[in-house]
Amino acid sequence: MKRGDVLENINQRFKEEIIDVIDKSSTRVYIEIKPCSLVKVAKYVFEELGARFNIASGLDVRSHMEILYHFIFEEINLLISFRVKLDRAKPEIDSLTPIFEAANWIEREIYEMLGVKFKGHPDLRKLFLSDDWPDGVHPLRCDYKEWDRKAIRDRGV
Amino acid sequence: MSVKLKALLKSPWVFHISTGSCNNCDIEVLDCLTPRFDIERFGILLAGSIKHADLLLVTGSGNRKSMEIVKKLYEQAPKPCLVVAIGECALSRGMFIHSYNCPVPVDKVIPVDVYIPGCPPKPEAIIAGLVKLIEKVKGTLKKKGK
Repeated sequence: MKRGDVLENINQRFKEEIIDVIDKSSTRVYIEIKPCSLVKVAKYVFEELGARFNIASGLDVRSHMEILYHFIFEEINLLISFRVKLDRAKPEIDSLTPIFEAANWIEREIYEMLGVKFKGHPDLRKLFLSDDWPDGVHPLRCDYKEWDRKAIRDRGV
Repeated sequence: MSVKLKALLKSPWVFHISTGSCNNCDIEVLDCLTPRFDIERFGILLAGSIKHADLLLVTGSGNRKSMEIVKKLYEQAPKPCLVVAIGECALSRGMFIHSYNCPVPVDKVIPVDVYIPGCPPKPEAIIAGLVKLIEKVKGTLKKKGK
């Protein structure tokens, strides 16, 4: 399958779901999709087109939350990033873990760092943060405030 | 100086703890232990377990999770136990001072005897620091200007 065929396939099949396509370079394409159709698109790309799920990355950009799901087509050296924009007040999206296990830990990390809730995730708990970390505090959000009163933030000189 | 401390200084065995460092300080520590800088000529030997160690080399900025482990390790170490903080991160957390995951420096959790600054400190600096530690405990460390 060629690069053009892959993009054509996705475009054809998900005409309604795609909001925007940014053809960044010969190896990189960003496709913005509706959050409700993520599972459908991911399933098609992973199972039918045979892409590899590389990683997901989450961002907090003040106006909204954003998650990028990066899929790699190794034979044709193409990286497609599916971008979903979520509401900052109540960020929720369907989990991809039922489709591929590789999404499990990265979703847990995005959950603890940004507070995005993944519906249908089998085991949504903390991954990296310590056990005494309070619930509902997400360190990589824009509005994160220091919660630990015992923390020392000067160098003592 | 107690007998224990005197015996310890003949050949202090070190145990190396990384509390979330970028591994640069660890590479320098490793450099010290290997033949080029050969810290073994001062009798310093790497121990496999904390329970055999007299000296703790602590590197890294001290994460919330790893500091709990450092506390436990320090409790397991046979006393008297001396602690050396290596690198800017272990001294004052360096550039991670405002990080959500590094609330307190290492010396607020366990008592530190010698601070070796640098990012990373050169092996020479680590050797100088360890020699100073031995001199300090022996009480022969020369004060500046005397």
